[in-house]
Amino acid sequence: MLVNTYSKRIFNMAYQFAGSYQEAEDLTQDIFLKLYNSLSKYDFKRNFSAWLLTIARNYLIDQYRRTKWEKKTRDDFNDHYLPSEAFEDPEEGVVKEENKRTIWQGINNLTSEIRMAVILRDIQEKQYEEIAEIMSLPLGTVKSRINRGRLQLAKILKEKKERRNEM
Amino acid sequence: MKCKKIEELLSPYLEDELNPEEKGAVANHLKTCKKCSLLFSLMEETKESLADFPELEVSENLLDRLYSIPSKKKKFKLRLPNFDFLVRPSLQPVLTVATIVLIMVSFYFFGPNKSSIDKSISRKIHLGYSKIERLYAKAESFTASLGEHKDNILVSLKNIKLLGGNED
Repeated sequence: MLVNTYSKRIFNMAYQFAGSYQEAEDLTQDIFLKLYNSLSKYDFKRNFSAWLLTIARNYLIDQYRRTKWEKKTRDDFNDHYLPSEAFEDPEEGVVKEENKRTIWQGINNLTSEIRMAVILRDIQEKQYEEIAEIMSLPLGTVKSRINRGRLQLAKILKEKKERRNEM
Repeated sequence: MKCKKIEELLSPYLEDELNPEEKGAVANHLKTCKKCSLLFSLMEETKESLADFPELEVSENLLDRLYSIPSKKKKFKLRLPNFDFLVRPSLQPVLTVATIVLIMVSFYFFGPNKSSIDKSISRKIHLGYSKIERLYAKAESFTASLGEHKDNILVSLKNIKLLGGNED
């Protein structure tokens, strides 16, 4: 059944994109409603998973443009993401958790299109070709957006580290 | 290569997608430029951190909401069929005419003078019929009189010069 197979993937995509657990639940419900309404338009030649993710991507970006989530804050990283397994070096573990928290908040600074491209590539670990199909963009554009997103996040991480060192 | 150009190549360098020439140029630049080298190591950390974000489980509450979507849709359809097309502006003249016709029909069927309306309609119809019959009779007598004077008319027409007739 569609819910069993795809709910986790869609919910995580919505949460990573929106940054709010409650918002992600509502968005997932809306995306499934949209999916049921669009099933009759599905072209059997297309990859179903990519088609569904395209619906999700379009809906998330439309909602983002309408509601401007970038002005809102994201949930704290540790509200729902539990700390990773213990590291041999506790200091290294603290730094890595701090990095994740900074990057999680930094995602809010990315534009909707760049944010979606980075989520699909670096969190969901999809192939560039699949991302290009989901986002209906040329491969080169997808690669350049992902590079820009990573650079922005790296610069945010740099600022955070510099501020930490000053303290 | 300039730092700006190197920044564009950092992702493909990180994912080992550059040709040997570009790869060498980026590696050489990173050895000498501290700023780009730091940016590259931060990009590596960023990528590593993003890949380490765990997948969340879907809550029971959300699953219940998702399972109830198809049945909700069905109920909605049964209760409220879609009559949106009736409020389209293009249908307004048609609906106005239909309303007028219905009002006239209801006057005819439910009004107190139904029998007198029936009588006047049948009288009008009979009058129409008798007019047509009179016209038909007139037409027949005109055809008959034309037949009687046919020869005279033909001779007269031949005598008109304009039509190419002779003088005899």
